[in-house]
Amino acid sequence: MRRSFSAMLERHIQSVITDDAGSETPAEGRNRLKGHFPAGSTRRMTTLGLMVGNALAELNPGPEDAIVYASGYAETCALESFLDSFPAPSPTLFQTSIHPSAVQQLMIGRQAAVREFLPLSGGSLFAFHALRASLLSPAPRVLLCGGEERGTWLLGHGLASGRTYAFAASLQTEKAPGSLGKVRLTRAEGMGELGLDAWFDLLRAREPFAGMIAPGWHMEIEWH
Amino acid sequence: MAESAASVQVAACGCVTPFGDAAQTLAALLRGECALRPVAILGRDGGDAVPLALIPGRSLDETAPPDWLEAIGRLNVTIPGGDWGSPRRPVFVTGSNFGVGGLYALRRTGDTSFAAWGALPTCTERLRAELGWGPDVSIVSHACVSAHLGLLLASRVIWSGLADEALVLSFDFLSPFVAGGFHALKILNSDFPAPYRDRESGAIGLGDGAGFAVLSRGRGEWILSGQSLYNEMYHFTANRSDGSGFSQCLAPAAAAARGRRVWFKGHGTGTLDAGRLEVAAAAQAFPEAPIVGWKGSLGHTLGSCGLVELAIATEAVRAGRTPGTIGGPGSPMGAGVALEGFGNGEFDGVVCASNAFGGAHAAFLLSHA
Repeated sequence: MRRSFSAMLERHIQSVITDDAGSETPAEGRNRLKGHFPAGSTRRMTTLGLMVGNALAELNPGPEDAIVYASGYAETCALESFLDSFPAPSPTLFQTSIHPSAVQQLMIGRQAAVREFLPLSGGSLFAFHALRASLLSPAPRVLLCGGEERGTWLLGHGLASGRTYAFAASLQTEKAPGSLGKVRLTRAEGMGELGLDAWFDLLRAREPFAGMIAPGWHMEIEWH
Repeated sequence: MAESAASVQVAACGCVTPFGDAAQTLAALLRGECALRPVAILGRDGGDAVPLALIPGRSLDETAPPDWLEAIGRLNVTIPGGDWGSPRRPVFVTGSNFGVGGLYALRRTGDTSFAAWGALPTCTERLRAELGWGPDVSIVSHACVSAHLGLLLASRVIWSGLADEALVLSFDFLSPFVAGGFHALKILNSDFPAPYRDRESGAIGLGDGAGFAVLSRGRGEWILSGQSLYNEMYHFTANRSDGSGFSQCLAPAAAAARGRRVWFKGHGTGTLDAGRLEVAAAAQAFPEAPIVGWKGSLGHTLGSCGLVELAIATEAVRAGRTPGTIGGPGSPMGAGVALEGFGNGEFDGVVCASNAFGGAHAAFLLSHA
């Protein structure tokens, strides 16, 4: 059976939350964000969990939303600490170091079930892959969120991000009052790439964009 | 969701396990063989011996480049077609550990040659170059439902007409990193697993595994339908005790299977609570279905299990016989649990389900085209 499926790869950008930690230390970030979560709930949260969780929470994720989570390196500091915990590995750090745990830290804290949760990693075409997954979801509202946290010893080996940031964007099929803009993917001839850092910078600056972001794929972002 | 009723065809699939390819694995399961062996959790660094199923000739200790590449290469030569990673033939690589064993070795030894395959993006980029794929290679990582998510995303690019075919490749190979982590959680211990059996305490085994599926429109021996996801977000490692996460996930697959006689290939790692909840939910959603799980023999192949077990299921249907639930002693958790193999000629579908940390659930219906 072949399904009839709308292939319009376009959504309205209803909300965008960005958080660039810049040179902020993990301790400073924790102090800045801990008041946004219930008392006592942040002790085991990671920097990325706090930042992605805070951004995603602003969009009030509901059970029928689809959540697409984009992070290349994810819980780098928990991963580093877990590796350092051998030969007596920490069970808590093992759980926390798993790729999509930043979103789970928020959602489990809220006891908020969601049907569709699509965690992705990526490289030079990451923006395209995250957007394609978001725009093909049948959910009326897709929450595309993600970010990175700066590594320490893994960064020295090129195995971690050098930046700490988070974002969450509500992408909707229907335009609603207060809509911020529109994102569109179309087939086109040509080459290009757009990684997650560059995608974040576009969102943070709310810069319009029109260009190739993957071989054969053109992205356009319009802001109202 | 509405699209759970939609279908896509599986043009080809296959797997590699410690028993060999899908046909060899099926044959071993039908003979009741167990691939799990006691192995020190930290490899050459020692530690408790736990049940692990490693590809023959492969060590738990990491090598540079990783020795699991040989198994991936063996699988790759069975993937039909070419031009993978081009705009009309995208690839979805899924797993839960990727090259994380290299990170463990890097930290222990300081040898920077282990870094090359370490992180998800670097590992996948290396793999892409090794297999000669083009650039359109998505990476999906959601622990032990990763393969199902890759299938769903690949199905969507097919349904939407954005691609002619899509390749989903999933792999997870064991290392002290993952063995140590599950051992720290105390569910990987010296006991061998006994999936879907009641006993004093639960235990799992872990296994190497890789699998692939080529999804297509209008071409293929198998139909994939009723694809479903559900995330409880209740606890990092436990499920809601009312089993609602299992039943929520299975509902779309049950709708797709209405009118069919199906058997149920469950997740069945050997943990007790999850096993009981899964058996109860499967029995409710598919009252006549025999329930089987194969991780008592293969070990839990983690992020790849959805594709590894899909490939075995297709072989089982071809062979006309489904392996039973291999594992240690204990009474079955429900009347539907099939401890022995059975002829499947009278069935016209298989429901395949997997679960993961965070109360993540995934399922689909597999049937003949």
